[in-house]
Amino acid sequence: MITSTTSSLIASCSPQQQAKITTGQIMLWVIAACLPAIFLSTYFFGIGVMLNIVLASVFALSFEAVALKLRNKNLRTNLLDNSALVTAVLLGIAIPPGSEWWLILSGVFFAVVIAKHAFGGLGQNLFNPAMCGYAMLLLAFPLDMTSWHIPVAQQADEPFSPLSLASMQTSIQFLLPAFATDSVSNTLNLADGLSMATPLIEQKMAGKSAIFAIFNSAGSWLDLLRRESGAGWELVNIGFMVGGLFLIYKKIISWHIPLSIIGSIVLLSLLFYSENSVNTYGTTYLHLFGSATMIGAFFIATDPVSAATTPIGKLLYGVIIGCCIYSIRVWGSYLDSIAFAVLFGNFCTPLIDHYCAPTIYGHARKRIWKPAN
Amino acid sequence: MKHSFFPATSSSKKSYYFTGGIKPPANKKRSLRSVIMDTPIPEFLYLSLKQYSGPDAIPVVCVGDKVLKGQLLANAEGELGVPIHASTSGTIREITNRIIPDEFGHEAGSICIEADGQDTWITRQPITDFKSLGPELLREKIQLAGICGLGGAGFPTGKKFSSNKPIDWLIINGAECEPYITCDQALIRENPETIVSGARILQRICRALHCVIVIEQDKQDAIDALGTAIHDCEIELISVPAKYPSGSERQLIQMLTNQEVPSGKLPQDIGVLTANAGTASAVHNAVINNEPLISRITTVCGDALKTPKNFRALIGTPVSFLLELCGIDYTSLSRLIVGGSLRGFTLKNLDAPIINTTNCLIAGSLREFPPAPAELACIRCGSCTDACPAGLMPQLLYDQIRSNESAKAKQYGLNDCIECGACAYVCPSHIPLVQYYRAAKSDLAAQKLRQRLSAKWQQRFEVRQTRIRLNEKRKKGSRRRSLSRPEGMDVTDTSLENFSRENAKQQIADAVARVKARKNRTPTNTQVKTKNPGEGKP
Amino acid sequence: MTALAFSPWFLIPISLTLFMVLSYALLLLARNLNWNANNQPVSLVDLVNQKLPQTQCGQCGFSGCRPYAEAIVKGEAINKCPPGGKFTINSLAKLLNKAAIELDPAQGGYTVPTVVEIREEECIGCTKCIQACPVDAILGAAKLMHSVIRNECTGCDLCIDPCPVDCIDVIPLNSSTPLRWQAPAIISNPDHFIRPGNMT
Repeated sequence: MITSTTSSLIASCSPQQQAKITTGQIMLWVIAACLPAIFLSTYFFGIGVMLNIVLASVFALSFEAVALKLRNKNLRTNLLDNSALVTAVLLGIAIPPGSEWWLILSGVFFAVVIAKHAFGGLGQNLFNPAMCGYAMLLLAFPLDMTSWHIPVAQQADEPFSPLSLASMQTSIQFLLPAFATDSVSNTLNLADGLSMATPLIEQKMAGKSAIFAIFNSAGSWLDLLRRESGAGWELVNIGFMVGGLFLIYKKIISWHIPLSIIGSIVLLSLLFYSENSVNTYGTTYLHLFGSATMIGAFFIATDPVSAATTPIGKLLYGVIIGCCIYSIRVWGSYLDSIAFAVLFGNFCTPLIDHYCAPTIYGHARKRIWKPAN
Repeated sequence: MKHSFFPATSSSKKSYYFTGGIKPPANKKRSLRSVIMDTPIPEFLYLSLKQYSGPDAIPVVCVGDKVLKGQLLANAEGELGVPIHASTSGTIREITNRIIPDEFGHEAGSICIEADGQDTWITRQPITDFKSLGPELLREKIQLAGICGLGGAGFPTGKKFSSNKPIDWLIINGAECEPYITCDQALIRENPETIVSGARILQRICRALHCVIVIEQDKQDAIDALGTAIHDCEIELISVPAKYPSGSERQLIQMLTNQEVPSGKLPQDIGVLTANAGTASAVHNAVINNEPLISRITTVCGDALKTPKNFRALIGTPVSFLLELCGIDYTSLSRLIVGGSLRGFTLKNLDAPIINTTNCLIAGSLREFPPAPAELACIRCGSCTDACPAGLMPQLLYDQIRSNESAKAKQYGLNDCIECGACAYVCPSHIPLVQYYRAAKSDLAAQKLRQRLSAKWQQRFEVRQTRIRLNEKRKKGSRRRSLSRPEGMDVTDTSLENFSRENAKQQIADAVARVKARKNRTPTNTQVKTKNPGEGKP
Repeated sequence: MTALAFSPWFLIPISLTLFMVLSYALLLLARNLNWNANNQPVSLVDLVNQKLPQTQCGQCGFSGCRPYAEAIVKGEAINKCPPGGKFTINSLAKLLNKAAIELDPAQGGYTVPTVVEIREEECIGCTKCIQACPVDAILGAAKLMHSVIRNECTGCDLCIDPCPVDCIDVIPLNSSTPLRWQAPAIISNPDHFIRPGNMT
């Protein structure tokens, strides 16, 4: 009786149990944490960002499938780790709404195929794939990447909603210019017109916070939600911050990188802020909420593959990135510097990992670079 | 030996901490619902001569002998061996190879006793006061009783406590941190006085300055029971936070004394000795009641059982016997794990007998232990680094081992890995990290052995070459004997030079010819194998 | 002093830089000079010899391990050592930056580690095996019992042929090999890693 069942017993190596979290679930939580900000962005600026994300996801999954097939990997397990999806979502958020479809295609191709699979696939890429794609697009198509095309009211007194049917149609026509009507095509070919830059680009840090303006002029909470108030971008960033804090709470990411990035930007901005040269050095608030710092700190720089691994290493990594973000923004010629700062941090990751390793038990507080034997 | 600041007392519950660690679900409630049950005597008991990774014991009985309970069946080989005693009275049926429940599925010689049901003890001489015996005598007594580390490794306790190093702390380890295992907790809450007595005996043996008993904070019933039992002693009771692996010796020492055991050294080198709570109880039995180690507490649990419980199992009981006592459902049994769920290994043959170190049997169902998902790529999330109690970087070691750079992994601390499994537990990509480290460690060990052997053989070869050359010089210079070189010998071949001896007998020549004809090997290179047909002198 | 069109203050940082560069170069030079201060010069033949198993069995076709090492340095194939097995081929390949090829089938297949044992009832005390053993692992003298010291036996089998009464047995070593864990399947498969110069 016994021998007949023993042949069916599983033989496995310890540990016999694992924690329930999987890579696919981690990536899904990251996407879920982006959702509040995506909804806010849609509310204020139209469905452009959602279209970007959907198109980017479709492209990313197909490129990933092709690349996995070429590398003879199991499609099912590797697609389900959702890493391509996260790259697509972050790239879709980063690429300005109203961009045309070929911009998204080339960005996603570069991110998924070149920056990830050509380096060895998930876990082997040295650089953050989404930021590689974004940096390539910024260098190759600078004009397209620095202008937002979003639907705005045609006449001043007309009730307007970016979520109205007409606006949605406009957004889709921005995406697929082949279907664009004449009026839309005209505006695409102009340098301005329907185009609007992000607050950062327009004001080069000289702006004031729209939220503070509302509250200073005795406005109410509801005024925040009116699209004309101009507080949209700041609310989107607050949405990213809330999502990031949620990820920290769920222990999907650790607090070290966001804290060190935000902390170094705060310190530097406080150090260098002056009322006189307000055109160059912005307020701390604007650095944090008027630009893409929140998404960079919580979602982009915390990409586990390209970031440092140990807690001390993460702090150092965050400090490097924060300083780069501030420097490039203020003294450099690129308007939004998250991509280049994160890529620079990725350059430093192997060295940081080497020197910031924990001390091994029993080795008398010696660091790894002085081996015991 | 410098004393480190020891802050904890039974009231303050304060201790230091170790980095890393995980908090898996404990799964201990079901087996703690009932008290420890004494097992009925099985029909056949199989006492394995190999109780841990040390040398096998040497039997002193023969097939057909009638033995009494507690009688010596096999002598320990050397100081590192463990003697084997009969777990019940009966007749020796056979002494053959049988599978033992260790990770490698080895077979070892086992003495099979057919129980006669009487369970008659040999004559025992219990004592009342262990203080009447000196430390060395006490140590010999526990060595002869076969006491070994019941917490997992099975190292002979007498040998462990035989060092002459000054000992500051004796730590009795009752921190059962691994999920599913409850044998120590059950023993402590039911027989705390045996543990306290065993602790005092061990303290007398090693002459430790302080003795502490350690328990995890979530075992309140054991803490209370022990608190009552030690009310008049100088032994301290410390409770540590429940974190895996707080029961690991090195981490425990770091938690209690804030010192780290240096890599490659033993705890006694820094003045600390540890013993498992079950071992302390067995020591008490051996010294006070004069009973050798013939039974141990084993937790039998898992979803495939109706009534999981703790048993006072006789060593040599077949695993299937214990499982059936708990009402096992063989159809739902999918994995039998020996040990806890994090460090235990699977057993395929349920006829294997219990050995000294079998502390837990988990009869797992498929729902409880689903098959491990496929291994994905490492995403460098760092959870393993956060979880490692030894301060290693598991993902770095994994990367190096997969890149065939095991030697570099050794430099980065591979041999300091305690194989606790915390890293593999938290890995979201389900990488079997511990298996990689074990394979790499054994590869490195094999490599080291190979190099040691090569160096030794090279040295012997060169010594022999030197001797031959010297002899040849001497013989060349001597006029008393002429060295006639036989025909066909290659004089330039220095490695297999044969000294020809005169007086070859014809029958030897015939025998050589016969041997040559009988062998039908593929002819090896004749440059090497020079023969001396008819040349040897007997 | 001629009137300089520029103030010479910038010479200070330039000279400081030059000084630093020069001292660093000297430091490097000094370090290189002391490179082999405590080490014996090691020849390539010695390094190759260290990678061989030293059984002195001659299965490679040479009269011992050192002659084979010398031949390897001169260009001989590295796959001729059965007792060394895959491990020796791989370490030689790594040392000499060559491809790690399969064992030459002319030498026979991979061998299990073995030792020999003399059946003492049949031994006639001729000392032929003692003369044959390259590491002096056989104890004995003329007309006295010969015994193999098991711990010193390399398993080269050179004593088996000379024995006139064929009383030497070959015993495979199973129990004294160290316990080996098997690596997870993903890297046990030798096709998994393809790295230049290290084909498995």
